[in-house]
Amino acid sequence: MQIDIDSLETYNTLARDGAQSAAESLSQLTGIDTHVEVTNVSLMTPGDLEYEYVGSEFSGVRIELGGALTGETLLTFDEAARSVIAGTLAPEEPTDIRRSSIEEVGNIMTSGFIDGWADHLQTTIDISPPTFLSGSGADVLAASAAAEDEQVFVFRSRVESAAESIDFHILFVPERDSLIEALGPTGEESVSFEKLEVFNEMTKHGAEQAAENITTMTGLETDVEVNRMSFVPIDDVPATVGDRRYIGTVMEYTGKPSGYLAILFDQPSAEAVVDALVPMETEGEWSEMEQSAVKELGNIMTSGFIDGWANVLESSIDHSPPEFVSDMGSSIMSPIVGRMARTQEHAFLLDSMIHTDGDGAFHCEILALPDESELREVLRELLVERADRTQVDPSEVF
Amino acid sequence: MDVLIADDSEFMRSLLREILEGEYSIVDEAENGVEAIELYDEYDPDLVMMDIVMPIRDGIEATDEITDTDPGAKVIMCTSVGQEQKMKSAIQAGAEGYITKPFQKPSVLDEIENVVAG
Repeated sequence: MQIDIDSLETYNTLARDGAQSAAESLSQLTGIDTHVEVTNVSLMTPGDLEYEYVGSEFSGVRIELGGALTGETLLTFDEAARSVIAGTLAPEEPTDIRRSSIEEVGNIMTSGFIDGWADHLQTTIDISPPTFLSGSGADVLAASAAAEDEQVFVFRSRVESAAESIDFHILFVPERDSLIEALGPTGEESVSFEKLEVFNEMTKHGAEQAAENITTMTGLETDVEVNRMSFVPIDDVPATVGDRRYIGTVMEYTGKPSGYLAILFDQPSAEAVVDALVPMETEGEWSEMEQSAVKELGNIMTSGFIDGWANVLESSIDHSPPEFVSDMGSSIMSPIVGRMARTQEHAFLLDSMIHTDGDGAFHCEILALPDESELREVLRELLVERADRTQVDPSEVF
Repeated sequence: MDVLIADDSEFMRSLLREILEGEYSIVDEAENGVEAIELYDEYDPDLVMMDIVMPIRDGIEATDEITDTDPGAKVIMCTSVGQEQKMKSAIQAGAEGYITKPFQKPSVLDEIENVVAG
């Protein structure tokens, strides 16, 4: 089964336009101006989708699609947005009417989102009546989707309002065969879906190795919570990472593929890591030794992450010494994006999140931005049968 | 036995120093490949613990130059890089051992023992 990457660009644009249309519908209904913050298409397991809703309460609607494109959309408002919308449309009304207002808003917005796809495909896409949903994490997801291990494409949009607290997410999860059929005939630039899946698995393995390296060095028990490969307009990358403050390292890697890698810890996690590595009181926010410890951890995690690519591809990938960073996520990514945007409009963003087991108190994000055209080449050359050769024992070589 | 440590990370140099002190004599520490070559010429150590990813000149280039000048030099790569092609490049450059970070004290001492024993 082949995927045309150029078609993904088109469909990413359609998803963005659809999200914009949904945002405009909401503005018309409530009078609140909203804008699309980010839209991307990600390859992930349904289990990883849970992360979209972990930690916060959401409510919204689920709508099933039929006809030329089958699957489902989830349009969810965070608690503050739900309250503002219901308060605007159904003030003083009983709970069931307020809930109905959310259903109807969701219905109208989803139609706005889907219409562009139908127009592009010059066909009709049927939408089911909305099903109200609320909760967090797996509660929000379809039970069937959460149980599957098969990787799926997910179109994700985040819409925000500057003036009011209106944040909502649209997730569009088309059924795989239906999407591939919709993407149309493939050309020379296409890659097999299997290779995309395998590369995503290799990346997950790299993230697991990086998590293991954290554990070995610090004693903190960590695990990879989420792993996804997104295809995103390059200019959207900083917004994708968001304005949360991070401490970590940035590195450039060269070879096949070349690109950039950022390893970012949130403030408490960075402090936990440094306390474990440099167990002595130091003056100032980040002493030289503390920065050196973070850089060395970044260095070791980077190797854990990218060595698997090199070993499977029987190539060599060099990386620069790590640069220490302490800033908002978007500010850390902006200079990287500025350099990459000279040669590409879209990027593959490989995003893995590492947490401590259970409590989620520890948060580390690994963000890899490989050169898009080089990654396409890598995917074409990837030998699926070598995919498990990510690790090499030096004693077998020496 | 005299050991030269070459690693751009102050943190990693301090870890290695902790592991090696008491067992061996550390003659000096280099922060990049060029310094490693200069300090090797100056001290003629029995062993070099060499990182790969370093600024100015990397550890494989430095190893290549050191073993060109002194074919009897003993170098152990001590690196985060776990790529097969890099390991082969290290062998070509003249390295006799390879330790991947993160490491534990016994694995470092075992590798040194193996390399020194030839």
